[in-house]
Amino acid sequence: MIRLILSRLAQIAVTAAILSFCAFMLIALMPGDPIDLAIAGDPRLTAEDAARLRALHGLDQPLMARYLAWAGAVLEGRFGHSRLFAQPVAALLGPALVSSLELLGLALSLAVALGVGLGALAAMKPATAPFVQGVALLAQAVPSFWLGILLIILFAVQLGWLPAGGEGGWRFLVLPVVTLCFANLAAYARHAAAALSTAMAEPHIRTARAQGAGERRIIWRHALPNAGVPLLTIAALDAGALVSGALITETIFARPGMGKLIYDAVMGNDFNLALLALLVVAVVTMLATLAADLAQRWLDPRIA
Amino acid sequence: MRAGLALLGLLLLAALAAPLAGAALGHDPFLPDLFSRFEPPSASHPLGTDELGRDLLLRLLHGARVSLTVGLLAALAATLIGTFIGLMAAWRGGVWDAVLMRLADGLLALPALPLLVILAALDPAMIGLPRGEASADILRIAVLLAAFGWVGVARLVRATALSVLARDFVRAARAMGVSERRVLIRHVLPELAAPIAIATALAVGGAVLAESVLSFLGLGIAPPAPSWGNMLANAQELVFQAPLAAIWPGLAILLTVLGCNLVADGVARRQGFSTRGQ
Amino acid sequence: MIRIVVALLCLALPVLAQGNNPARDTLNIGITQYPSTLHPNIDSMVAKSFTLGFTRRPVTAYDANWQLICLLCETLPTLENGLAMRETTPEGRPGLRVTWRLREGLRWGDGTPITTEDLRFTYDAGRDGATGMGPAEFFRSAYEFIAEDARSFTLRFDRVTFQFASLGDFAPLPAHLERARWEIEPRSYRTRTLYDTEPTNPGLWNGPYRVTQVQAGSAITLERNPHWSGPAPAFRRIVIRTVESTPALEAQLLAGQVDMVAGELGLPVEQVSALIRRTGQRFRAEYRPGLIYEHLDLNLDVPALSDRRVRQALLLALDRGQIVARLFEGRQTLAHTSVNTLDWPHDPNVRQYGHDPARAAALLAEAGWMPGADGIRRNAQGQRLAIELLTTAGNRSREAVQQVIQAQWRQIGVEARIRNEPPRVLFGETLPRRRFQGAALFAWVSAPESVPRGSLHSDEIPRAERNWSGQNYTGFRNAEMDALLEALPQELDRERRRVLWHRLQAIYAEELPSLPLWFRQDAHLWPAWLDGVRPTGHLNPSSLWVEEWRVR
Repeated sequence: MIRLILSRLAQIAVTAAILSFCAFMLIALMPGDPIDLAIAGDPRLTAEDAARLRALHGLDQPLMARYLAWAGAVLEGRFGHSRLFAQPVAALLGPALVSSLELLGLALSLAVALGVGLGALAAMKPATAPFVQGVALLAQAVPSFWLGILLIILFAVQLGWLPAGGEGGWRFLVLPVVTLCFANLAAYARHAAAALSTAMAEPHIRTARAQGAGERRIIWRHALPNAGVPLLTIAALDAGALVSGALITETIFARPGMGKLIYDAVMGNDFNLALLALLVVAVVTMLATLAADLAQRWLDPRIA
Repeated sequence: MRAGLALLGLLLLAALAAPLAGAALGHDPFLPDLFSRFEPPSASHPLGTDELGRDLLLRLLHGARVSLTVGLLAALAATLIGTFIGLMAAWRGGVWDAVLMRLADGLLALPALPLLVILAALDPAMIGLPRGEASADILRIAVLLAAFGWVGVARLVRATALSVLARDFVRAARAMGVSERRVLIRHVLPELAAPIAIATALAVGGAVLAESVLSFLGLGIAPPAPSWGNMLANAQELVFQAPLAAIWPGLAILLTVLGCNLVADGVARRQGFSTRGQ
Repeated sequence: MIRIVVALLCLALPVLAQGNNPARDTLNIGITQYPSTLHPNIDSMVAKSFTLGFTRRPVTAYDANWQLICLLCETLPTLENGLAMRETTPEGRPGLRVTWRLREGLRWGDGTPITTEDLRFTYDAGRDGATGMGPAEFFRSAYEFIAEDARSFTLRFDRVTFQFASLGDFAPLPAHLERARWEIEPRSYRTRTLYDTEPTNPGLWNGPYRVTQVQAGSAITLERNPHWSGPAPAFRRIVIRTVESTPALEAQLLAGQVDMVAGELGLPVEQVSALIRRTGQRFRAEYRPGLIYEHLDLNLDVPALSDRRVRQALLLALDRGQIVARLFEGRQTLAHTSVNTLDWPHDPNVRQYGHDPARAAALLAEAGWMPGADGIRRNAQGQRLAIELLTTAGNRSREAVQQVIQAQWRQIGVEARIRNEPPRVLFGETLPRRRFQGAALFAWVSAPESVPRGSLHSDEIPRAERNWSGQNYTGFRNAEMDALLEALPQELDRERRRVLWHRLQAIYAEELPSLPLWFRQDAHLWPAWLDGVRPTGHLNPSSLWVEEWRVR
């Protein structure tokens, strides 16, 4: 077990290193460096200013040298300065990570809970299956940038019950969480239904049923715990995609979270911030995947 | 299943009929007309006009061509790549498996959208595509979506292929000296057909939606070519001025997703297993 | 079960609903951009100058009537009042010596008096290239700083320009807080400046407000500065919120989370006029014509566009009046050249191009472009008259204009292929490297009477040897224009300058290096109860006069 964990951790470290290099090259591939942008924004910048600023920001170095310098600094724990926000990168990531974890954690839990609920509902009462399918379909087909603005118009503008955006207490979280949750709901409802029907075919369920246990009891006590394990893995694997999805939600609801931060950093050519933020998300996701794998092995010893 | 296929067929037919409808109505869906912006539905404009006075019905039909092409291309490409990589990982095992699956994990772990945005911003001329052509736009977006979309298929194929490879009839075939290529093509692939078909069907809807998200970020299909995605993204911007503009492209996307789901469910039911989780 | 959920929701919802009681001591302002830094001299962006307008005052600024005025100084230096004098530089060139005197009683937010030492620090830091301040042109030209006493300072310039009285971004920085930090290591000063590491330090600010809270990426909170010596502003607190999506910003306004939307970085005019129509008396809008010049830059190295007749035909084919009337409800000021019609150097008799497709077609035929079978014109070699048409991707109003332009050009037989790029690529690569094969639709923002040297002088054509600096993206070369652009800044006499300006506009309108479209209007959106905001329409934002803002 320990060996397995260590080997997987080593794999994660190697993957992270490769990913950081690929991400660096990708961002560098995008045309236009920060100084070009500054020149376009300010007619008073002259040729000398451009050369001076490039040298100052280290942009006159070859790409590989810049990457190695960055990687070396990160390994020493110096994460550098964000050019875009004029803050140390570490100081920016903290609050963004907290904001994202709040939003993503709640949305993911809600999506899993609702998904499992809907899946179970469909499994228990076949009559409700079309309704469940309809909800899943809607959740799958409505883009979150559209749902978000509709929710804002209804609950913030028309009814005035909830704030339209920004950060603050829990009231500010309701709409973005619902938006993001809805976007991921369909997947979990599907996964839950699949996992449930697999679990329902297991021998011990048949035993339970033969012993006369009620259908409801079978689902809640026997099938769901079994179905929960694969759902956990799926949820962990989804973390990265969820951060992507959060970009839209965060833009509409004006919340400065990880998705928005990465997007802004990439578009603003802010290497230090973009790379570290991407890496943090990737590593967290891979660690979550590993944790889910381990949990699965622990819960279900049949998996070798 | 039949209903799903019928629905998708109808959408395809509508896409093909776009020029005919254009001829029948006598409008050009690409030509702005500043004097008839935001017109309500009428005999000459059955669904009304958009913010530049163009016929909404015609744009919707032309949008179907773009969106369905993007969806189908992206889904097929993702399936091809994913099947190949998943199969390789399962068949070769060992280091190959570890490397390919870590690659997949890594890609899955990266937030794809910000990276898609970089790729979408690249000059198409750099990779030899013509600039300013809707067809190049379609290809570009399909390639981008496939580049990140294959991971799910690969994981699914790998898992299924592993179980198939361990089955008795494969072992028997191998013991009888059947070549590895033949084993993979004649014995393993057919077993994978159903899950792959389901994954493809579901990916079509996903790709149509992903294109709309890219459009929202300003990097989807460039104007004046319509796609359901950029129509919807435009409607979002105009939500206060023309709240109903989103209904038609939204409905079209909904129908596509519905059709794909019905097909996927149909395949699953026909094969007698539940792969809804994929 | 569903019934229970519905019942629970019904119970919970009234709890969610909190009345937003308008206690009018806080003003929430929505803008669409977040400032990247709060340091006055590093990077320039509108969000920053808007925010700093509340918290910091420059020595001089242009007011709402586009006149230069003193904010921190007592009188504007002129040759007549003797505060400015012609002299000869040590190198023997004509130069200027200009003196400003700070008003009495100016203090930083921590009570420290503002003195010429603070200006000397700005000067030292700006002149040192390692500091990483943006444009150093000013500091190169001002070769000597002399502190006459605690309140008077003199700058010596190595050239004569008519704008000598304007100090622009040259404003005091708090030497008592920043000088030591800068002196440790100028190279890394920009990562250690208190403006970004401790922006809530009151000593950094000298405006009516000071920064009290910063939420990176979303909001900046300002509160009254107790050491402000001018009239007290009306609001105890101002919160500047960044909402990048314009529908979301409108929603926040309607929901009452944001009281006003600043026109400098606000909603498009057509969105605002629609909003006013729907909401009646709740908001007021003011549309201020500004110095934002929307135009089409043409790449003159594209063979077809190098012909002046083709460029004129392209402009004649556009029905700009109709575009403005239909898409923007008439709320843009048509442009004839890059000189704003409201700016005094504007020549009302400059050549104007109406909508005249027939004349456009004749010009194209004259230039050798004959109608082809597919409706697109061809020249004698059989080449099609097809160009690219670029703009910033994701800017819906520009994309709408672009599609109309494409259609109107199509009618005279010119094909425009649309290719849009995100701002970062367009402004960071395509335009400066001149990699556009046709026309690019974007805007220049300028100050009143600013000489368009960067975009029209042949020395300013971006080239690799010049580090791609310069904004003459069109590649325009005209010897007379070059001479005018060099003579204009040095001509101190306004009437003689007017003659030069008129000649400049005449050449521009004849040669059309760029096709003028219109000057954008900013839509300022205020609640009905807010009074006294005066939009300026140029780079000095309305927030510089926040002490005049009042609750009605």
